[in-house]
Amino acid sequence: MIFLRQLGGELRKLFTRKRTYIGYVVFLVFEALLLSLWVQVGRDQFEALAKRNFVPVDLLSSSLTATYWIMGFSMFLLGSIYFALVSGDIVAKETEDGNMRMVLARPISRLRVLLLKYAAVIIYTVTFVVFVGVTGYGMSLLAMGAEGGLFIWNPDMYILAIYPDRDEAFWRLFQGACFMGMSMCVVTSLGFFFSCLKIKPAAASVMALSVFFIDFVLQNIPFLVSHKDVFITYRMANWVYVLQENVPWDRVVESYVILMGLNISLFILGWMVFQSRDFKT
Amino acid sequence: MLSVRKLRKKFGGKEVLKGVSFEVSRGEIYGLLGHNGAGKSTTLGIILSMVAAGGGEVLIDGISVQRDPRRALRKVGAIFEAPAFYDYMSGWENLKVLVGLSGVFEEGKAREMVERVGLSDRIGSQVSTYSHGMRQRLALAQALLPEPEILLLDEPTDGLDPEGIKWFRDFIIGLREERGMTVLFNSHLLSEVEQMCDRVSIIREGELVYEGAVNELRDDRPALRIVASPSEVLGEVAGCFHGEQQHDGRWIFPEETAVPELVKSLVAAGVNLSELTPLRRSLEDVYLEHSRLNLR
Repeated sequence: MIFLRQLGGELRKLFTRKRTYIGYVVFLVFEALLLSLWVQVGRDQFEALAKRNFVPVDLLSSSLTATYWIMGFSMFLLGSIYFALVSGDIVAKETEDGNMRMVLARPISRLRVLLLKYAAVIIYTVTFVVFVGVTGYGMSLLAMGAEGGLFIWNPDMYILAIYPDRDEAFWRLFQGACFMGMSMCVVTSLGFFFSCLKIKPAAASVMALSVFFIDFVLQNIPFLVSHKDVFITYRMANWVYVLQENVPWDRVVESYVILMGLNISLFILGWMVFQSRDFKT
Repeated sequence: MLSVRKLRKKFGGKEVLKGVSFEVSRGEIYGLLGHNGAGKSTTLGIILSMVAAGGGEVLIDGISVQRDPRRALRKVGAIFEAPAFYDYMSGWENLKVLVGLSGVFEEGKAREMVERVGLSDRIGSQVSTYSHGMRQRLALAQALLPEPEILLLDEPTDGLDPEGIKWFRDFIIGLREERGMTVLFNSHLLSEVEQMCDRVSIIREGELVYEGAVNELRDDRPALRIVASPSEVLGEVAGCFHGEQQHDGRWIFPEETAVPELVKSLVAAGVNLSELTPLRRSLEDVYLEHSRLNLR
């Protein structure tokens, strides 16, 4: 109970800061831009493409499919920037500003301080993904109406799926968003880990993004294709398998066990560093 | 109440604490004096478990900070020189978050405390709009709300205006009288220490060079500035009165010296006396001399 109350305080700190909302605002603008481009420019081209490939037009041009594109394309690269920014700040900024001394002067263990902070950034990450999904879907509904199912096409992951039934399509997309949220927690954990080191908040965010993007670039090098499984970003992209008609659960579970293990390892490493640090003016 | 035993600490190979020990009794206001970098803040950091001790131990009411920091710190409230709050939140929200980390935040008690520190009108405002004095009052409120038995103050009056300093001093003395609060006061402002503390220790280059009551640190021996010629004769006469000339030219005589007798003797010896000014020796003078004497 006390932990939950303390977590409430941590969330209050996080969500009272203006910079926490930068990502939300940018994504709203981005979603609106993407949809208006779709309506103004893209729709006709895609409908022609759909007809040529015998894909029902109402599937391709539906609000659910648009939500999938918005989430799939924007979250991975753009979202990771905001997760790294917020999680890189969460410990390092308080240390830099001196707040951490006020916190550590209290009868609370460092492990608990970190658990509270980690829980807060994980909640931020998940709610952010939900926010992007909900607002993306809301805007798509306004722009395209409620009709149509879901069309998934991801050549990199060899996925092609069609869900004409709207309820099933919605459920699949919701599941996908949940797994995507879990994937994005890895970026948050990276930022959190670097935030526990004796470095500036901006440096923690940059380090986390560097690791993330280096992994992403390596994963896409042609001669490393057969070793994709060892890259974090490939494992993170496995969320999309949940949208496949026959979900390869063994692969999905394996990837998420690895990602969870990575999250836990990053937390423990961060805690070990944080525990050994001296906090002075 | 607080027992600091043989604390040692090294930063990057440099030994900043070399076996510092002192005891603070319940209800006592104890001053830790020393210049910047002497090791005062490191000592406080170790007491608060923010800095790992290289050796030695700190006991708060018999509980070891090194072995059980959570239990030991339940009895402690701390205020730092520049208390860092969450500037983007109100004073009230800051209290809620910080006090909540110590356990339960009780609104009624918090309202009383806010009133007591004189922040009722501004507690709902963002901390970024607070003056330094208001921040210190908020710091006091957050430190006192969990009802600690010992208060650690790390240069709390630095940067405050004279009114703020007096308010703070009176508040702390009032706390001791009212609750029997034990206070460890870390400062380089000697006048503050003189007015607040019962006992002091002087720490210099990581070593405790003096410990005793504040009034023992004061020096009541007469100090005089004497401008006279010839200086040799002045020296002879002053020597007869067991006077010692200091490096800054002042003469210090034993406590029982009768200054009128000294003047008579100087005139009788043919000394041409241009100036004889009695000087009050500040605690600062004594502190500087004392620490130097003990070091060499």
